[in-house]
Amino acid sequence: MDDLISEFLTETGESLDVIDSELVRFENNPEDRAILDNIFRLLHTIKGTCGFLGLPRLEAVAHAGETLLGKFRDGELSVSPPMVTLVLQAIDQIKVVLEALENTGVEPAGDDSELIGRLEDASMGRLPEQADETVPQQPDNWDNDLGRELRPGEVSLADLEAAFNSAEPEVDGVATPVADAAPEEPVVHIGVGEFDPDLGRELRPGEVSAAELEAAFASAEPEVEVAPAAAELITKDMSQAEALATAMAELKGGDDHVAGEGGVKVQQTVRVGVDVLEALMTTVSELVLTRNQLMQTVRGLEDDDLKGPLQRLSAVTGELQDGVMKTRMQPIGDAWRKLPRIIRDVSTDLGKKIELVMEGNETELDRQVLELIKDPLTHMVRNSADHGLEMPADRAKAGKSEKGTIKLSAYHEGGHIIIAISDDGMGLNTARIGEKALEKGLTTHEELERMTEQQIHRFIFAPGFSTAEKVTNLSGRGVGMDVVRTNIEQIGGVIDVTSTAGKGSHFSIKIPLTLAIVSALIVGCDEQRFAIPQLAVRELVRVGAGSEHTVENLNGARVMRLRDRLMPLVDLHDVLGVGEAYNGKEDETGFVVVLDAGGRNVGLVVDNVLDTEEIVVKPLSDSLRGVHAYSGATILGDGSVIMILDPNGLAGEIVTAMDEEASIEASASKNAEATNTQRLLLVRAGGSEPKAVPLALVTRLEEFNPDTIESTNGRLVVQYRGRLMPIVPIGSEIRTVEGQRQPVLVFAENHTSIGLAVDEIVDVVEERVDMQMSSDKPGIIGSAIIKGKATDVVDIAWYLDQSRAGNIQRKASNRRRRILLVDADAFARRMIAPLLAAAGYDVTPTGGMHEVHAIAEAGEQFDAMVGDPSALSRIRQEGLWPNLPTLAVTDWPEDTQSEGLTAVLPRSDRGALIAALDSVSQEEKVA
Amino acid sequence: MTTHHGDNAELSAESMNEYVSVRIGDQLFGAPVDAIREVFAPQSVTSVPLALCEVAGLLNLRGRIVTAIDARRRLGLPPREATESGMALGVERGSEIFGLIVDSVGEVLRRPRAELEPVPAHVDATWRSMVKGVHRLDKELLAVLDVSAVIGTAGAKAEAA
Repeated sequence: MDDLISEFLTETGESLDVIDSELVRFENNPEDRAILDNIFRLLHTIKGTCGFLGLPRLEAVAHAGETLLGKFRDGELSVSPPMVTLVLQAIDQIKVVLEALENTGVEPAGDDSELIGRLEDASMGRLPEQADETVPQQPDNWDNDLGRELRPGEVSLADLEAAFNSAEPEVDGVATPVADAAPEEPVVHIGVGEFDPDLGRELRPGEVSAAELEAAFASAEPEVEVAPAAAELITKDMSQAEALATAMAELKGGDDHVAGEGGVKVQQTVRVGVDVLEALMTTVSELVLTRNQLMQTVRGLEDDDLKGPLQRLSAVTGELQDGVMKTRMQPIGDAWRKLPRIIRDVSTDLGKKIELVMEGNETELDRQVLELIKDPLTHMVRNSADHGLEMPADRAKAGKSEKGTIKLSAYHEGGHIIIAISDDGMGLNTARIGEKALEKGLTTHEELERMTEQQIHRFIFAPGFSTAEKVTNLSGRGVGMDVVRTNIEQIGGVIDVTSTAGKGSHFSIKIPLTLAIVSALIVGCDEQRFAIPQLAVRELVRVGAGSEHTVENLNGARVMRLRDRLMPLVDLHDVLGVGEAYNGKEDETGFVVVLDAGGRNVGLVVDNVLDTEEIVVKPLSDSLRGVHAYSGATILGDGSVIMILDPNGLAGEIVTAMDEEASIEASASKNAEATNTQRLLLVRAGGSEPKAVPLALVTRLEEFNPDTIESTNGRLVVQYRGRLMPIVPIGSEIRTVEGQRQPVLVFAENHTSIGLAVDEIVDVVEERVDMQMSSDKPGIIGSAIIKGKATDVVDIAWYLDQSRAGNIQRKASNRRRRILLVDADAFARRMIAPLLAAAGYDVTPTGGMHEVHAIAEAGEQFDAMVGDPSALSRIRQEGLWPNLPTLAVTDWPEDTQSEGLTAVLPRSDRGALIAALDSVSQEEKVA
Repeated sequence: MTTHHGDNAELSAESMNEYVSVRIGDQLFGAPVDAIREVFAPQSVTSVPLALCEVAGLLNLRGRIVTAIDARRRLGLPPREATESGMALGVERGSEIFGLIVDSVGEVLRRPRAELEPVPAHVDATWRSMVKGVHRLDKELLAVLDVSAVIGTAGAKAEAA
């Protein structure tokens, strides 16, 4: 009985979530039969299962809801928001009863007749508002066979027989016969407390007699092929409850597919307890560590007999790990399923028009992580709806469309998942946040004045900023955000916010894919080793002898100069109270691990950086949980136990030190954040001056043995990953130095790779790139001041053309025209945007229609549009910027419909693009 | 050295208490056999800076992380000499394993339950909170350890901290 109920609860809970979101979809698309059918089917299944299990309250509510939906389905009633609200209320009521059922194991007593009455009235075509008549009573439940009143959940024998009799001819396409059998009866149940001749005793609650079960299967047979098989399994020895469980599972499987396409194929899935998966995961993690340890030991040996099997062991372990990881992965859509309903409720309650856009539903992440971010995400979306978006009238006044948009997106990046929640509302109220921060004593007037907007916005994450205790509470914008931040940081994630007044806010969350195995940096401090999660490590800097960096003192607080900023330092020795702190003497060397602690850079001074290792995070013992410096412990490959440092905890330990340094950092970062910085790779090639390449464009850095670079047909190529990759030298020629490997920047685009050979890779710098001069020299976009020196910025596009043997002359232009660039492909945007910018255009790059709409709503004007032909066509169709010249850029110009477009140009021919742009924008001016 | 639990089930287990005899400082203690999961020699204990002083550190017991609690420190005795590593009693509490580090482990003793005497009232309060009673042996006294109190207070203290 318990097993059945718990299985029922799990499945019904899932179904209800689906119904919730499907109903919201249905409300917006009342014509979509598929959605309605799906809702109907799910609710019907719930009703049917309730019947089996003897849950009369649930069944009655589900039945009334189903009846109303049936009217929609049959076209007798048209869908309206009050109707949908009513159905949603029924779903909510079911949830309330389910919750009580989950807690107590029995269906709670209660009266739903008012709700059922309204549902029935609605089915009759009377709108809920008018439904104030007497509520229909349930049929008199005196039973003649039993000679007493039926208890809740019981049903008379006569009713049951009638139900089965009527079921036989009627079951049609849906394999939940008992429930289907008597649609006009609110309560139909398999007899509870009935005497069963086969068993020789009364049936226990939830049991069903073999005879009834067979009857049920007999009626279901034509549609459900699996049913006979299940019926065969039922023997007299088998416990009746077990048989019912089997049958239910089979029926359910059958039902899903019958409704779909008529064929019956039971999906091969098994429900496995989460604890089993957890245990499996732990074991596999140990296996992986043991494998790593073994590999390390064998690496030093020359024993081929051992190496073969070990390679196989290694491969198999890897596969096993992947497999087990997969069982833990769930699409993030599972965490989002409730959101459409929440948004609908919020928008109905507040009278706002809200569109919820969800992208990347299928992005998978560890279920443990999923569970932990569910509540924070829900909270943030609700916050956006509640406080971020304005009322329709205000939006209209601000020149925005009345309907606000909340966009949720998720995608993988490296070993992480990035989740973004953005809205096009009013943005954060910088002044109010500042006031509140002052009020709470989080900052001072002087500090506040020096802060950037973003830094002020970040106060919403500060502990103590909000007064709410729980994530679910709502009272003002930003309330509970520190709780959200704490939850996210607990799983090693990072959260940040950017917001523009009047345009909206954008929250981004970066979380690890899994918590089970993380990559960690192993550092040494006073003869002991500690692990730091790589996620929190921004960079490593060596200090002391032979290094340009030194630790300096500012009234006892340690700081270090890092790229013209002062960074606060903490010494791990001091924090942990072990050994002697790094004293900065000339002969002493140390390392500074630059940590991301709550969005700020903090340097952690350690004695040594030893290794990186994949570690399995083990929770801390209760007796150590009070120590904030640690987030867990782990066992290393060599079997020793080490502590995992918690960057945020460390920051907490030194919070006073942080505050002292905050103002220094604030003033430094203000300048940096005021402008866009870009990461540039500095290389030396064809001359002694360094040249700069935007790092975002470079796919990989490789070194090749000069001997492997071959010449074919006058071009240089190298075998790279099973293909030939053309090599083009930056500068005039490749200068090889004997015995030195040739550094090559690899650019990958559409499955082809191109290598740019350079003499030397010098550095990576992060600088604001202000292109000072555009250049007519081929291969150079222009010059910018980088690290105080005029540096040529390499035109990657030109070299890519070169490698394809295209050589285009470009006319320079100084006109500053505004171009809207639309291309879903980020690489294409990055390629084209700097190109157009260098040619003297002011480029606004956009990735999709949402951004385009936002820009259109903001009333921005352009001189021309460039981009992906399909996107441009859509803009045309929607009538945005009707008279602009549109230049489509594509890889397949000959296959592209040019209707409505000014010109279609091949993507590779950037010269033609500039030329076309120059000519159309000139025409525009003349006209 | 695995658990001794249940070895002598045929002897009237109801009237006899079984203890693992351990020595901590000069005192002989008895740890009830059914409270002990196993006895092991603690190796390479990683000390944990900032932890409570009685937490000797963490160690790896066949892939599980064990929190080692130093019984001497719990009982307020002077620390062991650095050369003595001692022995550990493995105690399972919930999903966690603790290792109670003692000086040495002796044989299993069985004493009639009826002979367990209460702790004399003038014994130090710290000890009284961790000792359940006393058995009179021929040569010396056997103090019966309340193992979960020895481990438990460490956890409770950490929570309060």
